[in-house]
Amino acid sequence: MGGAAAMISATELQHLLGRMALGDRAAFRRLYDATAPSLFGVALRIVRQRDRAEEVLQDAFVNVWNRAGGYQAALSQPMTWLTAIVRNRALDELRGSARHAADSLDDEQGAPHEIEDARPNPQGLLEQAADALAIRGCLDEIEGPQRQCLALAYYHGFSHSEVAGHIGSPIGSVKVWLRRGLDKLRRCLDKLA
Amino acid sequence: MNYERPELLDRLAGEYVLGTMSARVRRRFQTIQRASPQAQQAVQAWERRLGPLAQSVPPQQPSAGTWAAIDRRTGGAARRSSAWLTWLKPALGVTFGVVATLGLVRLYPDALLPIDKIVQSRSTLPESYVGLLTDIGNNPVVLASSTRHGKTMTIKMLRKVDVPAGKVLQLWALPKDGAAFPLGVVPAEGKGTFQMADTSEKLLSSVPRLGVSIEDAPARAGTTPTPFVLAGNCVKLW
Repeated sequence: MGGAAAMISATELQHLLGRMALGDRAAFRRLYDATAPSLFGVALRIVRQRDRAEEVLQDAFVNVWNRAGGYQAALSQPMTWLTAIVRNRALDELRGSARHAADSLDDEQGAPHEIEDARPNPQGLLEQAADALAIRGCLDEIEGPQRQCLALAYYHGFSHSEVAGHIGSPIGSVKVWLRRGLDKLRRCLDKLA
Repeated sequence: MNYERPELLDRLAGEYVLGTMSARVRRRFQTIQRASPQAQQAVQAWERRLGPLAQSVPPQQPSAGTWAAIDRRTGGAARRSSAWLTWLKPALGVTFGVVATLGLVRLYPDALLPIDKIVQSRSTLPESYVGLLTDIGNNPVVLASSTRHGKTMTIKMLRKVDVPAGKVLQLWALPKDGAAFPLGVVPAEGKGTFQMADTSEKLLSSVPRLGVSIEDAPARAGTTPTPFVLAGNCVKLW
């Protein structure tokens, strides 16, 4: 993973999760230090407010501590597992609040502590990730609008209706694009795996 | 809808992991997941596919309070320290003389024993090993402390040490008999902790002195230290 987590190997993260399952708090702290900045970046991008993102991170790490024993190295990389816990919690937080309805990402609604929308273009992030993962070929198979919808949904946590509102297309088209985009991605990634 | 149809589950799992479901649909699919191992597997497969895409998100530093809250909520040190501090004060008063003779101003919560042990010996400070290392001018520089049965060494640098770039300050135990062995790396200033290879009792029970040398990298067991720049006594606090 990017940033601080890049300094710690997947093997070491697996080891720390194993130690945590035995109640090793020092291992927990080390895992937090190594992964929190990357995971906080992911949460902040979705919920957009620092205080809410910190709550998400807190809940996620409490969950990680309680579930460390259930982590299965054979099923997923540790950072993938951690990212899933954080994204799930962030998406629940985002969907759980009435404030964050379809139009909540309009800047007029900005709360005092809301971060500015200086987030890099999600499509840029998707392409950057694809290059880093050497899956550029998979991305190139996905047409422009589908790719844009996938990036908005994945990095900003946009729902179908939010994606539709953001790009100014009917929700029906967006649903079809997303479905096709995911299909192509799955076929290509599974072939590579 | 027949949720056991693999292609439907796969599509829903993809939308769930991607994050496009509305609150209502999301909750419904979470209920399905709890009951269906197939749904769980489909979600895990999508998490494996999409999870790595998060790596391009720039990291952001959460506030220091975030860890403190996590630590408290998981029953960690922050909660223990606040609980025992309220009654530890009288105990600290009783034993202040002992501490003062060692030239210590205070001990750190991290260096103390869990609450059950403290309760058993309310009128005394926890059993600990404490080292005070001085420089050539006899100025105190490093305060090292660790509970008797703990593996965490807590370090307070009482003054900054100039460490050449790329070098580390290595703390060594100097046993009564036998060669010096490495304990861990101390910071050039401020505070820090490190995990020792074993408990203080195992490592330090026959170690009267500690030393700090400047090394190219953290020392491994079996290596020999360069000349010590700091040294001092290691005592049992019980």
